[in-house]
Amino acid sequence: MTARVTPEQLLAQAPHEYCLPGGVLRTLTRVPQNVCIALLKLYRAIVSPLYGDVCRYFPSCSAYALEAFTVHGAVRGLGLTVSRLLRCHPWAAGGIDRVPAGGREFPSPAATPKIVLLNHPNLARESTHDCPARHGAAQGANAR
Amino acid sequence: MNFFDLILLPFKWIVSAVLWVFHELFTLIGADPTSGLTWVLCIVGLTLVMRTLTIPLFLKQIKSMRGMQELQPEMAKLQAKYKGKKDQLSRQAMAEEQMALYKEHGSNPFAACLPIIVQMPIFFALFQVLRSVPQAAQNNEAIHLLTPEMVHQFNESTIFGAPLFSTLMQPGNGNHAATIILALVMIVAMSATQFITQRQLTARNMSDSAKESPMYRQQQMMLYLFPIIFAIGGINFPLGVLVYWTVSNLWSMGQQWWVIRNNPTKGSQAERELNERRAAKGLPPVGMTKKEHEEKLVEQRERAAAGQRTQPVSKKRQKQQSKKNNG
Repeated sequence: MTARVTPEQLLAQAPHEYCLPGGVLRTLTRVPQNVCIALLKLYRAIVSPLYGDVCRYFPSCSAYALEAFTVHGAVRGLGLTVSRLLRCHPWAAGGIDRVPAGGREFPSPAATPKIVLLNHPNLARESTHDCPARHGAAQGANAR
Repeated sequence: MNFFDLILLPFKWIVSAVLWVFHELFTLIGADPTSGLTWVLCIVGLTLVMRTLTIPLFLKQIKSMRGMQELQPEMAKLQAKYKGKKDQLSRQAMAEEQMALYKEHGSNPFAACLPIIVQMPIFFALFQVLRSVPQAAQNNEAIHLLTPEMVHQFNESTIFGAPLFSTLMQPGNGNHAATIILALVMIVAMSATQFITQRQLTARNMSDSAKESPMYRQQQMMLYLFPIIFAIGGINFPLGVLVYWTVSNLWSMGQQWWVIRNNPTKGSQAERELNERRAAKGLPPVGMTKKEHEEKLVEQRERAAAGQRTQPVSKKRQKQQSKKNNG
């Protein structure tokens, strides 16, 4: 087992969300996805703090969208985001609503982008010494 | 016209339509169309219509509020569990568990504001219609369905000599003393009804466990703060708007009383009172069938008849005792 890191370190060292494969053609096809990721990150940096926590779901709509684009690419990401925004209306009961699994896979918590860690906090906390195992067991549903 | 006005337009139209219908109705049954009393009754009618339409919202709000109160102890546990954990992942984990808790109790604080949001345009529309009356009368304009003639009547009508559109701060050119007395009486009535409504909710309709939470202390503070804010705001409302608010608050108080009396929160003072009333009528307590209740009573009686439970005795002592009895 490698040396354990604190949650703060894990977050600070997390790789970025952008999808950068090798090769010109594959990079070109990833442009829409990366543009959307950049816009969402900008929104989350500037607009989200102004509102505070207002979403009736966990993760919030913008966190959901960012993860969807990061993990599933531009087309599925857009579809998932639109369907979530339609689900987030004043009559909805809210609750926990995760991005479906699939798409990009991340081999270890250390290689997982920040937004995925934030949206699956217990998965990330399990891998750090901060969080005892019973914690993770109680939140088994958290695993993707 | 800005976006805000565009949203309010249909609501304002409805408000003017309701006022128009009531005014026509009262004129038809022989009331004086220019009398202040007729117009006050129109406002009262409008209030009753609006409050009747928003009853389902009120019920939803009550349910949600109750859910929030009931989940307070669990929320406190959750906060204790994450106490001192300030890193972002822990905050996220806490947010997630909170969301699951809200969902479980069917009361999301972000969903609870819906009834207030829906009532907002109705109140703003009403407020704007009433506030625009003096201006429209000056310009000889109609307000949606209210004809210029009606607007003039409305604007010039007085109650006990006080113009309907004077405020405590700006008593206008009517009887100043009447305006001030009427405004003060209504501000006191509004604050008192608000106070009573809040108080009966917190004092009689909260479970005992919810009463020990910090949220209860916060609500207690609100209880005393709100009427004060209300009174301060009230000085700037025209009398016509004050009539609406006073009647509306009276309605809330009645509604609240009825709900608490007939459908109280579990484990609250009001539930105990309801069960006492039901017992007096020979009915089982709420949430229990007659058979279950009787079985429980029989069990209690048997337990009482059996007297004190015999203490368990260790084998060693059992032997000693049997020896003593035999010898």
